[in-house]
Amino acid sequence: MSRGTAHLATALLIIHGLVAVALLGAITHQALAAWAPARGRPDSFFGRFRAVPCASYANAIVILYAVSTLLGGTVYLNFRVDIRPDLERVGHWQALGLFDLKEHFVAIGLALLPAYWVCWSQPLADEPVRTRDILTLILAFIVWWSFLVGHVLNNIMGFGL
Amino acid sequence: MTSSPWFRRFAFAYGPAFAILYVTALKLDFALFTVYPTIGVVLPGTHHSRDIVAPSMGSSLPAMYWYGWTATAALGALMFALVAAQLPERWTRRLWSGWLWVIPALAMPGCVYLTLPWFRL
Repeated sequence: MSRGTAHLATALLIIHGLVAVALLGAITHQALAAWAPARGRPDSFFGRFRAVPCASYANAIVILYAVSTLLGGTVYLNFRVDIRPDLERVGHWQALGLFDLKEHFVAIGLALLPAYWVCWSQPLADEPVRTRDILTLILAFIVWWSFLVGHVLNNIMGFGL
Repeated sequence: MTSSPWFRRFAFAYGPAFAILYVTALKLDFALFTVYPTIGVVLPGTHHSRDIVAPSMGSSLPAMYWYGWTATAALGALMFALVAAQLPERWTRRLWSGWLWVIPALAMPGCVYLTLPWFRL
């Protein structure tokens, strides 16, 4: 990999990480507010964390998820060529398995975004609220999984594992 | 922004259809195309390195299937959802909306099962 390509890949990976942090915050706020809404006037950090208008996060989550997937899909090429062979050489098979799961889950989550957006932006009166909340929970799980696995893979050689 | 009934039917059909087709593509190893990032080549269909070069060269020519699996599922789900979106609303309203999350929630353990070989190495 040339020096310029390496710099570009590093920059994209950092931006991918930053977008993922924003997405993680947004989806966690929404999931907690949907599943454990704050009652009355929240007076703790956890209470205020849950006391957000859930629906207002939907657009941001859709955009952040799509951008994060696009960036992840781009740096994935560099990962496959420059990083994965080293991980295979030292036998990090479980970590690579976890990363494969991240790919699969992210793809499934990406396809759920249109329905997720519809559920939050225009809920029907007779539509069960739980459907929307469970979709949010599935996306939250995918985002947390991807975030944690991505970071483990990013740092695994530094962990000395 | 508002969503039309057409888009609602499309979106509700697309997500679950994609999940089913993605797991199927993964199981059958059916990628719409294969990417060889080291040489910058994209071949239609599923190709394994051993089909292209000698086995000893396989590790130096890594193949990527995730893009192809995703494209397979996306294309199939798009066709399914376009058909579903044309159906009369009185038909689609009878369907349980829980399928929207049950199917993807089942597809995820399916992916875990198909990934288990990594954890046996």
